[in-house]
Amino acid sequence: MSFSLSEEGLAELDRLLSRYPDRAAAVLPALHLVQSEHGHVPDEAIAWVAERVGLSPAHVEGVATFYTLFERRPRGRHHLQICRNLSCSLMGAEALVAHVSAKLGIRPGETTPDGMFTLSVVECLGSCGTAPVMQVGDAYHENLTVEAVDALIDRLRAEG
Amino acid sequence: MPNLTINGVAVSVPEGTTILSAAKQVGIHIPHYCYHTHLSVAGNCRMCQVEVEKFPKLQTACSTVATEGMVVRTDTEAVRKAVRGALEFLLIHHPIDCPICDQAGECGLQDYYMTVGLHKSRYPLGDKIHKKKVQDAGSGIVLDAERCILCSRCVRFLEEVTGTRELQFFRRGDHSEISFFPGRPIDNHYAGNLADICPVGALTSRDFRFRCRVWFLKSAESICTGCARGCNIEAHFHEGVLYRYKPRVNDAVNRAWMCDFGRMEYRKANEARLLAPFVRENGVEKEMPWGALMPQVAQRLSDAVRTHGADTVAVIASPQLSNEELFLVRHFASDLLGTMNLAFTRRAPEDGFSDDFLIHPDKNPNSAGARLLGIPGEEAFHAVAGRISRGEIRALVIFGNVLGAFSEKGTLELLSKAPFIVQVGTNEGVVSRAAHAVLPSASFVERGGTFVNCDGRLQRFRAGFAPRGKARNTIEILVDLGNRLGAGWSFSGEESVFRALSRSEAPFRGMTYGSIGSLGREVKR
Ligand code: SF4
Ligand code: SF4
Ligand code: FES
Ligand code: FES
Repeated sequence: MSFSLSEEGLAELDRLLSRYPDRAAAVLPALHLVQSEHGHVPDEAIAWVAERVGLSPAHVEGVATFYTLFERRPRGRHHLQICRNLSCSLMGAEALVAHVSAKLGIRPGETTPDGMFTLSVVECLGSCGTAPVMQVGDAYHENLTVEAVDALIDRLRAEG
Repeated sequence: MPNLTINGVAVSVPEGTTILSAAKQVGIHIPHYCYHTHLSVAGNCRMCQVEVEKFPKLQTACSTVATEGMVVRTDTEAVRKAVRGALEFLLIHHPIDCPICDQAGECGLQDYYMTVGLHKSRYPLGDKIHKKKVQDAGSGIVLDAERCILCSRCVRFLEEVTGTRELQFFRRGDHSEISFFPGRPIDNHYAGNLADICPVGALTSRDFRFRCRVWFLKSAESICTGCARGCNIEAHFHEGVLYRYKPRVNDAVNRAWMCDFGRMEYRKANEARLLAPFVRENGVEKEMPWGALMPQVAQRLSDAVRTHGADTVAVIASPQLSNEELFLVRHFASDLLGTMNLAFTRRAPEDGFSDDFLIHPDKNPNSAGARLLGIPGEEAFHAVAGRISRGEIRALVIFGNVLGAFSEKGTLELLSKAPFIVQVGTNEGVVSRAAHAVLPSASFVERGGTFVNCDGRLQRFRAGFAPRGKARNTIEILVDLGNRLGAGWSFSGEESVFRALSRSEAPFRGMTYGSIGSLGREVKR
C-alpha cells in the first residue's frame, strides 16, 4: 500500500495509539491526522488507518463517512462553508447559497473545475449572533451580504 | 423466575428473559427486525415497542428484561400507532420493488406491512433517495442497498460470528447505506447465513435468486451431509427438485448457522443422478427393470459365494449411508454373504478444509455411526482394496461413488480386477462407469434415517419427496436383495429398521425416533 504520513505524522500517530487502552479509540484522531496532511482522507488511507487501529476497512470507512467534517474526496483550495441553520436561514443564507452557486457554477458539495473552490452548506456554526455566517478554511466571515461574499470570492481568486 | 402478564396471559420466565422472548413462550408474536435469537441485541428498528404498565413511554420488547409483576400489552392503540409509524419510517426510501425482488414471500417488510402497516405512503416518489442495487458483495451474496432497513443484523453477524467485519453502514441519516469497502467484499465461509438473517431483500443468495418463488417451496427437516458436524437444516424443494438448504436452530450443534460448502451440497440431489437401473455388458450400458435385474444380481452374488467361497466377495460401505442402511449392510455382508470383507471408505476430504467453528475435516455425515455399528474403516478398506488388486475378489458390492483416496484412474484400474461389481449409488461417477450392475438409490432428501455426528450426537433426517426417476430407497434395495439371499426381512421404512437396530446395538439401545426428536440426542458410549 502506497499511503503513508510524513515522519512527524507517523510519530504523532504512535503517540495517539499509545494513549488509549484500545487502539481502535484512536480512529478519529488518526483520520484527522490524515486529513490535516492530505486535505482529505484518500481511499488508500482508509485501509492504512484500519490496519493501524485494528479495525476493518469497512468500519473505518463507516466512521469517515459518518462525520461530515471528514472529506473523502479532494476539495478545492478554498472551502466555502455556508451555514444553513435557523438563524442564518432567517438572515438570508438561502439566497447567499443560491448566489454563490450561480457565481461559481457549482452546486453545494461540488468543486469548481479549476480546483479553486468547494461549496458546502453546513449546520449551525455557533455564531448565530452574526448570521449569516460562512466559514472559509479556519476563518469566519460574518454578517454577510451578497456584495461582501462577492468581494471575498474575488479576493480569494486573485490570491490564487 | 419473574411472573408477568402479556395481554392478560400469565407467564413466568427465567431471570434475564426479555419481554419479546417471554411473549414468544405464550404464542404472542411481537414484530421485530433487528432482534435475532443468536445475535446481540441492537434495539434499533423500533418495531417491537410494547406498552408496559407504569412506564411512561413504550418500551422495546427485545431489550427490556421481564420483571416480577410486569403488565405488558402488545395490542393497544398506542402500540399499533407507534409500530405503524416505525414501519412507515423504514419504508420511506424503500423502492417497493417486490415484483422483482427475490425476498418476496419471505420478507419482513411485506409481512408486517400486512399485519401492522397498511398505511398509505405519504412520501413523494420523486423524493426517494436511491442507492446501489444488484451489487456483487462477494461470497455469493448480492447486495441491494436500497432495500436495506439498517437493522444491522448482518453487521453483527460478521462481527460476532465470523469476526470478518466486511459490512458496515456508510454515511449517515437517510443517506446511511450498508456496504463493504471497495475491493474488500464479503470473504468468509459462512456468508450464506447473511441472506437468511437479512429480514428484507437487501442481501440475497446468488445461487438461489430467481430460481423458485418461495411460496412454492415445501420443507423437510434434514441434516447436512457435507461433513461430520451434521448441521441441522431445512431442505426446501418443489416438484422433485431440491432448491436450497437453510440452517435449522440447534444450539447443541450449529446454533443458527451453516457453512457455505454444506449449503451447496443440495445440488447433489439434482445433478448427475442415476435414475434408472442398468447393466453393463461388454462395456455397453443397458437399462433393465428392477424386477429383472435384482434376481440376476442376487444370483451372481450367491454363485460367487458358492463356487469360490465367501472370501471372494466384498462389500464396501459408505459413511454417507444412514445408521439404518449401514445396519442392514452389515447383516447383508456378514450374515447373508458370510464374508469378512466389509469396510467403509470415506469420501476423501475435498480440500481437507476445517475451521474451529463448524467445518469438520471429515467430509461425511456418518463416519461415527459406521464405527459404532462395527463396520471397520480405512484400514480394513485398504485390506479389501489389496485383495481386489490381487484379483482375489470375484464379486464386489459398492455403496456410493468413491474409493478412499484413489484417483479416478486408480479406481478404474482397481475395479478392472473384479469380474462382477454391483453399485448402489445416487450419483454418476467413476464407480458407476465401471460397475456391471448399477442400482440407483434415493438422495438424502428422498429418504430418511439417522446419522451420528462428530460429537456422538444421533440426529434424524427426513424424506421430503419420493425418489426421483426409478431410483429406490437404499433400505428397500437392501431388503429386496437380502430377501433374495434368504434374509426373511420384513422391514418397511427406516423406522422399522431403527427399532431392530436399537434392540441389538448397545450405543443405540432403548432409543426411538420419538426420543431422538428433531434436535437429536447423544448416543451411549
Ligand atoms: S442488509 Fe439486511 S441485515 Fe443488513 S442491515 Fe440491511 S436489512 Fe439489516
Ligand atoms: S459445517 Fe459441515 S455439516 Fe455444517 S453446513 Fe458445513 S458441511 Fe454441512
Ligand atoms: S444558524 Fe448559522 S451560525 Fe447558528
Ligand atoms: S426488534 Fe426491538 S428494536 Fe428492533
